[in-house]
Amino acid sequence: MSSVLLLNLAWQISTLALVALGLAIVFGKLRIMNMAHGEFVMIGAYAPVITSMLGLPGWLQLPVCLVTVGPVAFVLERTIIRHLYGRMFDSLLATWGIAILLREIVELIFGRGYQSVSPPIAGTVCVFGADYPAYRIAVIIGILLGFIGLYWWNTRSKTGTRIKAMVGNPNLAEAIGINTARLSAGAFVFGCCTAGLAGLILAPTVRIEPMMGLDYLIRSFFALVVGGLGSLEGLGIGSGIIAGTQTFLGAVASQTYGYLAVLTLSILFLWLKPNGVRSSSR
Amino acid sequence: MAYQIGLYLIYGIAAQGIGFLWGKTGVLPLGQALFFGIAAYVTAITLRAEGNLFLNLALAAIVLAVIAGFAFVLAALVFRGRNESGPYFSLITLALVMIAEQVAGTATSLTGGFNGMSGFNSLGNLDPFGGFYYVIVAATVAVSLFLFILNRLPVNLIAKAVLDNEPRMQLLGFPTHMIKGAAFAFSAMIAALAGGLFASHQGIVTPTSTGFALSAELVILTAVGGRFHVLGPLIGAVIVGWASTELRDSFPYWELLMAVVFILVVLKAPGGISELFEAAFRRVRPKTPTSAAPAVTAPETRFDKTPRPLRFEDVRLKIGVVRILNAVSFDTPATGIISVIGPNGAGKTSALNTITGNLSVTGGRIMLGEVRIDSRPPHTALSNGIGRKLQVPSVFFSLSVSENLAIAMMAGRLRMSDLFKPSTFQWRSKSLSDVLGHPSVPLKEEMTDPVEYLPQGHRQFLEYAMTVAAEPSILLLDEPCAGLSPDETALMTKLVQSYQSETSRLVIVIEHDMSIVEAISDKVLVLHLGKVLAFDDYDKVRQNPQVQAVYSGGTK
Amino acid sequence: MMKKTATLLSSVVLTMALGTMSVSADTKIGVLVPDSGPAGLFGPSTRNSAVLAAKQINANGGINGEQIELVFADVGVPPAEAAQAALRLWKGQGAEAFVGMHDSAVREALIGRFNGEVPYVYTPVYEGNSCADGLYITGETPSQQLEPVIPFLAEKEGVSKWYLIGHDYNWPRDTNALAKGFIADAGGEVVGEEYVPFTVGEFDSSLQRIKESGADAVLVTLVGGGSVGFNVSFAGFGLDDQAIRLGTLIEENTLAGIGADNANRLYSSSGYFSSIETDAAASFAADYSAAFGSDAPALNGLGQSAYEGLMLLAALTNKAGSLDVAAMDAAAEGTTWSTPRGDNTLMGRHMAQTIYLADGSGGAFNVVASFDNVPSSEACSN
Repeated sequence: MSSVLLLNLAWQISTLALVALGLAIVFGKLRIMNMAHGEFVMIGAYAPVITSMLGLPGWLQLPVCLVTVGPVAFVLERTIIRHLYGRMFDSLLATWGIAILLREIVELIFGRGYQSVSPPIAGTVCVFGADYPAYRIAVIIGILLGFIGLYWWNTRSKTGTRIKAMVGNPNLAEAIGINTARLSAGAFVFGCCTAGLAGLILAPTVRIEPMMGLDYLIRSFFALVVGGLGSLEGLGIGSGIIAGTQTFLGAVASQTYGYLAVLTLSILFLWLKPNGVRSSSR
Repeated sequence: MAYQIGLYLIYGIAAQGIGFLWGKTGVLPLGQALFFGIAAYVTAITLRAEGNLFLNLALAAIVLAVIAGFAFVLAALVFRGRNESGPYFSLITLALVMIAEQVAGTATSLTGGFNGMSGFNSLGNLDPFGGFYYVIVAATVAVSLFLFILNRLPVNLIAKAVLDNEPRMQLLGFPTHMIKGAAFAFSAMIAALAGGLFASHQGIVTPTSTGFALSAELVILTAVGGRFHVLGPLIGAVIVGWASTELRDSFPYWELLMAVVFILVVLKAPGGISELFEAAFRRVRPKTPTSAAPAVTAPETRFDKTPRPLRFEDVRLKIGVVRILNAVSFDTPATGIISVIGPNGAGKTSALNTITGNLSVTGGRIMLGEVRIDSRPPHTALSNGIGRKLQVPSVFFSLSVSENLAIAMMAGRLRMSDLFKPSTFQWRSKSLSDVLGHPSVPLKEEMTDPVEYLPQGHRQFLEYAMTVAAEPSILLLDEPCAGLSPDETALMTKLVQSYQSETSRLVIVIEHDMSIVEAISDKVLVLHLGKVLAFDDYDKVRQNPQVQAVYSGGTK
Repeated sequence: MMKKTATLLSSVVLTMALGTMSVSADTKIGVLVPDSGPAGLFGPSTRNSAVLAAKQINANGGINGEQIELVFADVGVPPAEAAQAALRLWKGQGAEAFVGMHDSAVREALIGRFNGEVPYVYTPVYEGNSCADGLYITGETPSQQLEPVIPFLAEKEGVSKWYLIGHDYNWPRDTNALAKGFIADAGGEVVGEEYVPFTVGEFDSSLQRIKESGADAVLVTLVGGGSVGFNVSFAGFGLDDQAIRLGTLIEENTLAGIGADNANRLYSSSGYFSSIETDAAASFAADYSAAFGSDAPALNGLGQSAYEGLMLLAALTNKAGSLDVAAMDAAAEGTTWSTPRGDNTLMGRHMAQTIYLADGSGGAFNVVASFDNVPSSEACSN
């Protein structure tokens, strides 16, 4: 296996895990089948476009990203999503509508055209004897550190347990003093913000346009169900299987076979291991 | 104007299939264009070959059968061993349609690739907007009529019951995975019919006809039109189709508008437009309650009714690291009432779960007479004569009392042909009539009430009535008197005793109230920490020092 | 019940259609533009170009002495819906001829629906090999875009090892099948060929293969967002030093998405660029911005093709003397007309036209060569 293939695997797996992280919270914990997840990635990817349009310095990209994604997610949670807890298929339908809504709104503001964003780090570096884009190396390392931090926090924090308690029995959770409205809104907004962050990070390496979100949605769903809902390890394993299969088969056979293999694999996992390779519940 | 409406009717037909599946059984298909598209491609290939009409129709029947078979096997395999409809199956259908779309686009030699397959006339060389339009209208009417008729038949009630409470359906002996498989196969056939019409009407089939976008659109049409009504999806298809063609060219924000309308429908009117129509209609003409039809003697249940002893042989059950049952062995007589007692966590309910197959044993075996019954799917329990009442009443909450009883009457008796006979609704068995006919049982005044408004005690009696309706040879009752008033408790004990004495069958009751245990038990099984502490008649068990040690607090 | 609803609804539709039917004697031309879907990006510039063409045709006396009126329909939808939208214009609103800028699947559906009963000009870049009664094609075909360009690039850039990458559908496959011949003729070789599904958004493994193949030229037949994604990553991996890129569907919007940083040595071959510097092109661009403002949707080859299509329709109709398909088919061969693209001739129902090769380095197209009167290799007989 060539070192470029290894780096490609690392890049694809880590970025898929990052994109799917928000969905892991929203779908895995809140049980909202958020079909608008990709649209939050899309909005995040527009953050650098906004800063350069307004002539703001580059370091404001992250705040701009959070300030655009966060309130949008919060308003949607309070007006629409909060009616959908415990109604999984309804959540799928309503968020499909939300996805169209967000695409149309972004299109009204920025137009349908493609936007382009320059990476903050240009050029390639030599890693394991392969020339690889420096920005990608930085992102891989960043995501890895981020997930280690998240894992550490997750094992210590009670937030995950509280969310699980809330979804399992909202009335009881309320009775033992969990503010369910605040917790669910917080989890949803956090999930969407990580999606936006993923969009911001991916922006210099992909096309940016209102329809881009769909690319990320279905892969994220498959990564989650293959890995198993509700655990960080599951997210990592699922991303590894989905992105790994696509990248590996794309390299040794063809992209079409890679794509078909990912779908076939997803079907097999959904059929034979519906709770994923790793699962926190059950 | 046939060219306007024909396409919407075709989509409407496919959406009616989704409405049937999703509205009745709760299974949401996200890849229905798979069947639509395959049928469309096969139709296109056939029409290009220019065979005669008869051959084409024969081929169509074969294609429909193959598609139905595939859909049935797929759904039955995926749902086997599960008792809910989760998102897994929906995502599988989604992945399948994505594969189909990709293959249709890549296999250019077979399908014409992205540009599609074209250059053929419609079926029977009819004018797509003249003669063939009437074929479409006829198909729409036929599918709608068929669905209306299904609505009045037992299959409809069974589908609704699967959606309402799948575990209960399994304990009533219904193989729910096959029922869902059949419903999916039926919806797939409707989608395929629509796909065939589409190819013939359009004169071209492209990968979009078997794609994700069309699948999603069909679901949206169903949701907007209303999935609970036969005509809902059709109304959705016509209204959405018409509105979008009208608005697309005149109102630049029509997609925005559609998105908002769609969200509002999901949030405020989950039953869609047809539900709003129906509510308005009912205000003008309220539903007149239909008078109950006379009862019909039900056919005999189809399982072995000879009394047989139940034998646990070294049964072990481990879930995760927890040992629930630890080498449980006992041998019951073939008839009589056995009470199971023991402190909380003793493994009483788990023991019943291993008998009905809700839990698979991790060691040993359970024999009923000469038949090994452990670790089988729950829906096979009734065919061994095992009937079960759960600890928390498990009935069909969205259905009325009489519908609940009708389902229970079908358990163990239903043959394929009975599914399509309205008289099946009126079945009554002696055991059920005995319960309902008892002067103190409250249910007979509440036959048309929805079960969700019934008080807890009445639900207990309902579930008991449903369990004995099948006249099981082994009746498993898990705390039947929980939540009952003293009078109701006395009534329940009397019902259980008279069932046993009249049928001389085996009844196993989990009970905490020692006075009841004393009154009804032929033998008492004491479980403690997953082991048999004692198994004897009441007085001997009472004097057993180990039992006294466990129950040192008193009688309850 | 259903039939009743159907009749009721269709009568509503009928009344509405009749209500909107105007009584003027103008000739109505149906213009089919992609307002929605993946090509929706080109909807506005296509509409504007068509409006500009109609204005100029009417200023020059219309067609056959009648003023023309454009009626638009959105065809950025699947073929069934697109065909239905075209039928609305034809049967419902009385359009007598069509100009369409849409994908090939929609074209095939329309050919079946029109059935040679109404003239239809198809305008975008396409894969060739489409003939039907009443169908006239102005779009560039692969042979037009590649035959002069590949030898030119082989000469200018000294490239010989070509890698072919495209989306997995008809147009790229047909384009590459022709390209192989032109590459061989120019003394080059094909070192790799691959097709990527529309649904795959990353090109890492393809880029790795390109790198390992030692290619010094890449023929890109990816479309839209995929093309943007590919080209961004291509430059990100530093492959722009190794190989030139030639695209046959990289227009101004795609280049904007790729970005100036990533467009080094990126060539595009097309019948139109907004930066063509001929007088005709300059005055067209001036008219366009005068009519729609300076911040109007940017001109590009696809959008502008609607202008070409209407101009062909006017020239051909005036030559044939009617909008009758048989008469037009008979008159078609050898029709000549001039547009911002240059001097065009209809040969074998396809448009022989000037082909421009532009370099996108620096983020804007700079025309480096033009080839006059390039015929398509297509020949539809009458």
